[in-house]
Amino acid sequence: MGDDDPRSRILAATVGCIGRAGLGKTTMDDAARAAGLSRATVYRHFPGGRDQLISETITWEVGRFFARLGRHVDGAPDFATRLERGLAFAHRAVAEHDVLQKVVDTEPDRLLPQLTLTGPLVLAVLRGYFEPLLEDEPLVDGLSAEAAADWLARNVLSFIVAAGGWDLTDPAEVRRLVRTQLLTGVLRAAPSAPDA
Amino acid sequence: MVSEERSGRADGVLEQRILDAALTMIARWGVAKTTVADVAKEARCGRATVYRRFPGGKDELFAVLGRREVDRFFAATVAQIDAATDLEDALVAAVTSTSRVAADHDALRFVLRHEPEVVLPYLGFAALDRLFAVAAASVGPHLARFVGLEAGPWAAEWVGRMVLSYLFNPAPGVDLADPNDARALVHRFLVPALAPATRPVAETGTQTHTPPTLVPALQGS
Repeated sequence: MGDDDPRSRILAATVGCIGRAGLGKTTMDDAARAAGLSRATVYRHFPGGRDQLISETITWEVGRFFARLGRHVDGAPDFATRLERGLAFAHRAVAEHDVLQKVVDTEPDRLLPQLTLTGPLVLAVLRGYFEPLLEDEPLVDGLSAEAAADWLARNVLSFIVAAGGWDLTDPAEVRRLVRTQLLTGVLRAAPSAPDA
Repeated sequence: MVSEERSGRADGVLEQRILDAALTMIARWGVAKTTVADVAKEARCGRATVYRRFPGGKDELFAVLGRREVDRFFAATVAQIDAATDLEDALVAAVTSTSRVAADHDALRFVLRHEPEVVLPYLGFAALDRLFAVAAASVGPHLARFVGLEAGPWAAEWVGRMVLSYLFNPAPGVDLADPNDARALVHRFLVPALAPATRPVAETGTQTHTPPTLVPALQGS
């Protein structure tokens, strides 16, 4: 689906509305006005009304985030570098997402239950992304690509939500996290770190 | 602060009784529907007594209760870790103890199932960073015995990440409150990375550990 179809226009407009009015106060009328479409058109695409619109907007924005993430790591020379680039990008993208940060600050009680619902989907997407890549990697004895993909997907999702004690803006720290921690139980021959 | 108003043991006992009563009521009706009057009745004291101990009323009572439960939870986890004799056992203890709270804590289970908006704000983004920092500060030093001072806080954080991951996105057939499942995860992924002797694999050339039999969902079907 391109960005010009009505559905994408409504979803993109709703993200803007949420940034201005918040999750709780964004209405179908707001979305219609911002998208330059009639109320009837918005209801035709989202017959479930406001709740459906909000929930699908969040899923859509999460999907866009992962599409950008995927493009960003394309062309990485090896698996470890791909993971490093992905973690650093994801952290930056979440920190710099103004709408997300505003909602996290002001309406966490509305946003987080919604995000929790998308968790299994996001995990499945990450797992599905990692598994074929890991099939080409030298895995630790007895470890399947599927189990390795699940483990890395869980870690990546966890780091997207919170950086914890790691400074993900520091490439050296990201490299240490990926190569000495996350991949140690996964790859038989972890790629040596490129020179810092 | 409530603690400054505590005067003597009897008050402490009464306060604990009020907090226990609040916990019982949350497990039964949830946070939204529980009133100070309900808590007073369950604690067999007057409403005025509850307000004297918790002048901020329900909000203060529940905030104090939340902190007490978090403290208890870390204390229980730390006791399990301190009883362990090696890194793997310590990490298994941390994982199982942490997972068991979610499974056994009736009030937390009720809230997660019926009122997620109450507790989730403490489990996402900046709030989650704060929770990891608390875990790192309170549990980390106890893991430092096995992984060194520097890695202790990270080991505690990592355990927290994995327990939360399986809590919110369960894997069929994996129960991290079960020592066998916890050990499979810990042995496979955490111990090799956290064991002090372990260097990045590229530097040592070989894996020194032997994987145990993994549960199906971790192994892949």
